[in-house]
Amino acid sequence: MTLSRLTAWRVMTPMDLEDERVLVARLRAGDTGAFDDVYDAYRPRVFAFLLRMTRSRTLAEDLLNETWLRLVRHAPRLLPDTRIGPWLFTVARNLYWTFRRDSLAREASVPELLTLWPSLTQWPSPFDLAAAGELERRVERALSTLSPQYREAILLVRHEGMSASDAAAVCGITAEAMRQRLSRARADLAEKLRETPAVAALKKGYAT
Amino acid sequence: MTVDDEQDDRNDHIGASLASLRTYDVSQRHAHQLRRRCHTLLQTQPSRTRSIESAITTSFERVLGPALGVAWCLFYLVEISRRAAAAYGLLP
Repeated sequence: MTLSRLTAWRVMTPMDLEDERVLVARLRAGDTGAFDDVYDAYRPRVFAFLLRMTRSRTLAEDLLNETWLRLVRHAPRLLPDTRIGPWLFTVARNLYWTFRRDSLAREASVPELLTLWPSLTQWPSPFDLAAAGELERRVERALSTLSPQYREAILLVRHEGMSASDAAAVCGITAEAMRQRLSRARADLAEKLRETPAVAALKKGYAT
Repeated sequence: MTVDDEQDDRNDHIGASLASLRTYDVSQRHAHQLRRRCHTLLQTQPSRTRSIESAITTSFERVLGPALGVAWCLFYLVEISRRAAAAYGLLP
């Protein structure tokens, strides 16, 4: 399985603001080269976000298609100071919630997430896989059991490296509400990570 | 939560493990097909129409829309004050 692993915190936009303005201007003019730059920079990130939200590869692919088609359709009307990253995540997130509200989203099982099609960056060594596998599996599992609101907050801020105010704009809430949501999400995640599978199974048993 | 708190949070182990989660991607074939579809769509719209439409939309969203909104609010306030004043006999 191939990974794109980052050792440091990511910044939300892989380009500075001036570059982004130029890129937006080129996109508005219908420049396919500009589209390619944005597509290559954001496709895996938006897809990973959708995948973790939907937990269904097929659904994530459909929503990813729609996200990019919306960018292209909307390109002529982009404002000159549009920030592409937050714009794409907002569209992807709204598509997910629309789908979910319409009761069409199907919650797939966690094992599916662990056997997904890999990104095509580089193959990790068996040692890397063995060392990272268990912790990563636990984090993925804990993430997948968070409520969607908490999950999106964690993914946008902790995984994507967005500021709380950018993530709040993506989710359509205030920055303060996002900070509170993050704090609760983090506590919830920490709690789930502390739980052993046996404790979780016991809790599940009591709940049913 | 302060900025310092946020920074502290980012340094903790949960934050680190979240940051290092793998990034997934669609298959190369899927990515290529979607790219081609988007290119086609981008190229089918004439750029002149696009720039005119964009200029109109931008100017409306940035200037005309808010200006109309403010003008309407001002007119409403003035008119309601004038009528109230007239109702209480404050106007000559």
